[in-house]
Amino acid sequence: MKLWITALILTFGCFIPSFGEEETDARLLASKNVLNQYLVEGKDLTVEYKIFNVGSRVAFNVLLNDNSFPESSFSIVSGNLKVEWERIAPNSNVTHAVILKPLKSGYFNFTSAELSYHTSEESRERTLGYTSFPGEGGIVPQREFDRRFSPHVLDWLVFAFMTLPSLGIPFLLWYSSKSKYDQSKVKKN
Amino acid sequence: MFLIRREISFYLPWLSSPFNVTYETMAATGKVLVIIGLCLLPILTNGDTCLAPQIKSQTYSTPEAIVSTETVLIVEFTVNCKNLLKNINLYADVLGRLIPATKTTEPNKYQISISDEHKKLPSGNYEVRVFDEEGFASLRKAQRSGESTEALKPLFTLTLNHPGIWTGSIVQTEFVAAITAIVVWWFAYTSRAKLLA
Repeated sequence: MKLWITALILTFGCFIPSFGEEETDARLLASKNVLNQYLVEGKDLTVEYKIFNVGSRVAFNVLLNDNSFPESSFSIVSGNLKVEWERIAPNSNVTHAVILKPLKSGYFNFTSAELSYHTSEESRERTLGYTSFPGEGGIVPQREFDRRFSPHVLDWLVFAFMTLPSLGIPFLLWYSSKSKYDQSKVKKN
Repeated sequence: MFLIRREISFYLPWLSSPFNVTYETMAATGKVLVIIGLCLLPILTNGDTCLAPQIKSQTYSTPEAIVSTETVLIVEFTVNCKNLLKNINLYADVLGRLIPATKTTEPNKYQISISDEHKKLPSGNYEVRVFDEEGFASLRKAQRSGESTEALKPLFTLTLNHPGIWTGSIVQTEFVAAITAIVVWWFAYTSRAKLLA
């Protein structure tokens, strides 16, 4: 009897449509990356979004909205944080970049952006999604960054100017005596 | 006649209902309307292409390599068509890559972003050829058949000037300072040697 039941369950199990194997709608995957080695206060910070359509249909009215950058801590240099694509074809991807300028130093948690789209032209409901999140990053104060990476031209000029008296005064003394000696030598001849 | 009437009611939906009445009752006014409709047709059907676009653009390119890991080029532009078209789909062709122009919240403002390794995007002028839906279709067609896309006329072309990235000074300032010190010392040493001789 038990064998019969399991056999019955197994046979019916074969008829249950397998979910997830066949993707008939648009499906978007989105990544958000910060393309910076150092996050420096007052220097350009590049945020890149990549959206892939891994489904088998065109995604319509794709809206990307990133609210994670408060105006008090970031100013926009170039690009837009709220953008839209009319359609993204299956098996294709789009790239979007925004250049920001951090106004404050310290740790900042980079969270994900929102993504919403229509899975097909007929669908009324918007599918909501989120991009990946880059995580926490430390924004270095400008002064600290300059200490490590700036060419220090001014510092070296100041150094040269300060060493000038200790080198220049003996040189001038020597030069004046030398020219006096040379002149007397000329007179003698 | 029926065909024309259908076309007019398609393009001028606000005219269709009074037109139906006049068609039956007053043939003369109907004919006048048809003629007006026919005159309007070319203007209405031409509504897909942007006529005489006026473009305002703004570009950005990564200036320094110390901070960023990739070079990013951004073009933002606003398109104003003479025939007041809004929200058209635009596509850009940069270095043979086809990129759909991103729409922004501001009307008729678009953004195109290109990012790649520093070496793959050297300094220079980049030509951004912007196509509308129709031009994009013929561009894809030409690409598929392996033809050159140069001959295709874009809606407009933008130039992006990338002055190149600053990878830091070639000679470090410490090195320059050391060389100067050695030169000064050498000068002093030789003149002392000359005096002693």
